[in-house]
Amino acid sequence: MEPWVVSTTLIIVYLLATIVIGILANRKGKANMEDFFLYGRQAGFIVLYLTVVATFHSAFAFLGSGGFFYTHGIGFWMAGTWTVLVGAITFALGTRIWALGKKFGYITPADLIADFYESETVRVIVAVVSVVFTLIYIQVQAQGLGIILSVATGDRIPIAWASALLLVVAAGYLMVGGLRAVYWTDVIQGIWMYVAVWAGSLLLTYKLFGGPVELWRRLMAERPDLLTLPGPEGFFTPGIWVGMTIALSFGIIFQPHMMIRYFTAASARTLKLLGATTPIYLMTLFIPAAFVGLGGALIMPELGNADRIFPELLTTYAPAWLTGLILAGATAAAMSTLDSILHSNMTVLTRDVYQRYIARGRSERHYLAFGRWVVVGLLGVGWVLTVYNFDFLVRLVTMSGVGALQLMPAILGVCYPGRRLTTSAGVIAGICTGLLTVYLTQWVWPQPLGLHAAVWSLGANFLVTIAVSRFTRPPSDATVERIHGEVENFVYGD
Amino acid sequence: MQSRRSHFIPRTRAGRIATIAFLAAMFLGQPPVVHGLMNRIEPWILGMPFLFLYLLVVYVLGIAVLIWAERKGV
Repeated sequence: MEPWVVSTTLIIVYLLATIVIGILANRKGKANMEDFFLYGRQAGFIVLYLTVVATFHSAFAFLGSGGFFYTHGIGFWMAGTWTVLVGAITFALGTRIWALGKKFGYITPADLIADFYESETVRVIVAVVSVVFTLIYIQVQAQGLGIILSVATGDRIPIAWASALLLVVAAGYLMVGGLRAVYWTDVIQGIWMYVAVWAGSLLLTYKLFGGPVELWRRLMAERPDLLTLPGPEGFFTPGIWVGMTIALSFGIIFQPHMMIRYFTAASARTLKLLGATTPIYLMTLFIPAAFVGLGGALIMPELGNADRIFPELLTTYAPAWLTGLILAGATAAAMSTLDSILHSNMTVLTRDVYQRYIARGRSERHYLAFGRWVVVGLLGVGWVLTVYNFDFLVRLVTMSGVGALQLMPAILGVCYPGRRLTTSAGVIAGICTGLLTVYLTQWVWPQPLGLHAAVWSLGANFLVTIAVSRFTRPPSDATVERIHGEVENFVYGD
Repeated sequence: MQSRRSHFIPRTRAGRIATIAFLAAMFLGQPPVVHGLMNRIEPWILGMPFLFLYLLVVYVLGIAVLIWAERKGV
């Protein structure tokens, strides 16, 4: 059987499975907002574990990370640092977000932040940051999916139509089954992508080099520049290393599709266990990526697009069934992130914009119906962005990792009681300054003193937030007592 | 309004140990340690280049601290 037939068949089987899961989730679910948007706040450890890791690792982990190792060498193994940090953030901060969400019924990050700072302006800014910096990821994931399906079918389906098909499937099971469908499909996607990456990588490593030890030896002999820092192109400097660690840990966690997952946990214990163990999955997925990227640099040194190294090696050296299995795994990796972003944008737009400012006091069924229409809209926007390349999007994509990071001082002010309070004016000034600094240090004067934009923007944000907060009105005593009192009670008891 | 003690410094012994141990692990995985002392290929250990194995050990250490903290109820 020809490889493209196997690949396409496996992907179709996978897509059908996700649709069936969406229907089952619909039958199991209840027609209320907590269930549709937050899985009824009942996600247990295994489901939550697999949805968090599958959402965190997108098409980038599957394709882009191999490309990074291929181009910049062992420096990308720094990715392990941010995955461990993600676990610690979940452990220390995620549990507090969960406790407040459960107590006060928060559904979105803006609910949490605006309630403490008693400011609708803060709510709007947080909602806008949440949507803008993740909306562009729809385009990134949809393009990735289009490329994967196009490669899998041997270019028989154009990228634009492949993107459209996969967007429709992801949006379809989300509309039918809500977050429950997203979580259940993520369980399959999380397992599939992990097995696929390891299986493909080990097969290629043993077939091409005789095993990882021999791969390392050949790298030492032929490309030692790939085994030290800052890498062949001098990319992994200290300033970039620190900045990427911050941007890709806190920056991703503060994106709404990750933060909303904290609200859905069944218990604080579930989240602590999650924080302690998710780095195992997240970090170890970069080991096979290293084998693929570094091995690929030896076998195919003249590849035009480094991100294609994994599929190129597979189609050249792996059996058709394994290539199909792995390309379906890559589809799973991209779809698990895409569906979560669609869901979070739907939730933010419905809850923080529509329910708050356009149609107050309507029934839950009404808001659920609106949420489904939002998904249809996002589907259209995502596809248009995928087909037509806009220059400003390229800039937004590069800024997105540090965009959500600007919510950090505001969130810490809510979840970590301290002697001094942050204020709504401080938070607004800090976020605006942070975003402006991102633009300046990423585009106008790229990386001043060799430091990543994340370091500059977060530093400026904190300074302005603290300074402005000292001279402006804090939240009312009653609100501070209610929210910080709950945090105190949750962490230390009364 | 009741004045609250800061939550940025853990109040329990296990919490302080976990925080210091985790920050130490993070420090070992950042510049200047990584870019200076540990930025080398040799010695080879278990068939792996030194920098790769060193970072793997640092990550495992960080995860071990988190699991310890979870077991201790931090």
